[in-house]
Amino acid sequence: MDNSRVTPKRPLPVPPPESLPFWQAAHQRRLTFPRCDACGKSWFPPANLCPHCLSDGFHWEEACGRGKVFSFVVVHRVYHGYFANKVPYTVAVVELDEGPRILSNIVGVDPQKVHCNMAVQVAFDEAGPDMTLPLFAPVEAVRKS
Amino acid sequence: MATDPSIRFRNKCAIVGVGHSRLGRVPGASALDLQLEAIKNAIVDSGVKASEIDGLLCRGPQDVYCNHQLVGARLGVNARFSTGVDSGGASQTLSVAFAVMAIEAGMAETVVVGFGGDSWSATHASEEARLANDTHAGKRPKEFGIEFGFTGAVAAHALGAQRHMDLYGTTRDHFAEIALVCRENALRNPDAQMKKPLTRENYHAANMIAAPFGVFDCSLRSDGAGAVIITSTERARDLRQRPVMIKGFGSHNNTRGWFADDNMVHTAAGPSGAAAYRMAGLGPRDIDIAQIYDCFTYMVLTEIEDYGFCKKGEGGAFVASGALRRDGALPCNTAGGLLSEAHVDGMLHICEAARQLRGVYPPDRQVKDAEIALVSGHGGNQVCHATLILGNA
Repeated sequence: MDNSRVTPKRPLPVPPPESLPFWQAAHQRRLTFPRCDACGKSWFPPANLCPHCLSDGFHWEEACGRGKVFSFVVVHRVYHGYFANKVPYTVAVVELDEGPRILSNIVGVDPQKVHCNMAVQVAFDEAGPDMTLPLFAPVEAVRKS
Repeated sequence: MATDPSIRFRNKCAIVGVGHSRLGRVPGASALDLQLEAIKNAIVDSGVKASEIDGLLCRGPQDVYCNHQLVGARLGVNARFSTGVDSGGASQTLSVAFAVMAIEAGMAETVVVGFGGDSWSATHASEEARLANDTHAGKRPKEFGIEFGFTGAVAAHALGAQRHMDLYGTTRDHFAEIALVCRENALRNPDAQMKKPLTRENYHAANMIAAPFGVFDCSLRSDGAGAVIITSTERARDLRQRPVMIKGFGSHNNTRGWFADDNMVHTAAGPSGAAAYRMAGLGPRDIDIAQIYDCFTYMVLTEIEDYGFCKKGEGGAFVASGALRRDGALPCNTAGGLLSEAHVDGMLHICEAARQLRGVYPPDRQVKDAEIALVSGHGGNQVCHATLILGNA
């Protein structure tokens, strides 16, 4: 009788205007962040003023896509129906090689095996017709020669 | 060396009245209703007349507009100084600091600091209400959270706990000790929400919420309120209760963010505490009891390091030594805290510190020779902090 219990859709971000370029680039599978034209420093999340020098001149730089886990949690409780069959899953703060720290999921690995400083790389996940989320997966161990 | 300008506030004002409302699950009572209950109890306790109150620093649930004004209407007073503070769980300790500043500036003589909340009822009224609360539903932009299944305070604080574990070898058994201390203290407090004993086995057997946090690492959802009355030390001497002196206060805010720098393990409690110690002319060795903001077990562990009760990274060993227990070096959260008494945004930590310093609890609750107390407040997306140092003389 109760066949209405389909898995709800993934909740999607509702970006403020200053973040739209980030999400548009992500939808084209490019991971970007703002870098100041005046002082050369970067920041995240997106904002229209450099938090280091308050200059409003900046450009969107494409990240190499690699980084490391700064810290992480393994979520067991279901806060939204979409995640009901996903728990336990990993949420992490990833520090990109270029410096900015970004919140995301670590996928493609048992949550028990995630650790701080784990090397990860971006793995884009199309979550809707206009939205692609930058997730992260462990970097394959490079074979030592 | 120049004198620290904050010293002029030392011992200038005192807490002269303390009150709380029914705590825990109080269906049918609004947050404002409970807040007035607590304020009335504090007024009666102090012996001041309601008409003498000319300052209100009262906060309610996040979605209540100008809570302080609603309090004034129900108290029937036109307050010279009336506002609310917006620093999450740090708001209540910071409000005490603002009360002293307002009194010293001649803007008010008798100030009520209060908080009332209904987070148990608000989240148990219906499934819709729970989801709305958990997902921060609303029309404002939101990103870097819900799309990754990252919602609410549990996971955010757990990021800090995980990092502390990774850097310093802290374990869940250390967090368990903090949960056990709070529960044991709550069992001595007849008004506390939690009535059942908690064992280390219960702690480890409980469901995980957002690892490394399980159920017992998380504070309660509570209906309830607390309030204190503050006036000048001079005026306090003519009132009914032994004045609890406000010896020092401080605040600091890691407003660059929880993810920035190493704020997850070096909280704003460090500089906030240093400012309070400076004003009071005291240090961590002078503190007899501590009421530490315990929205999560880990926050107690990192805050006691940041306050200098032990070195950074040694909090695990410090709590494992039994230091936070009633007979330990630093009796902590002696009424049960947000973890086991009730989550009233830290307002009850202020009430408990004041009552311990009056020294009038029955022997099973009174910490012997408690003369100086430290109270911490933490909140506002993990980065806002405020500290009080109170004394019985």
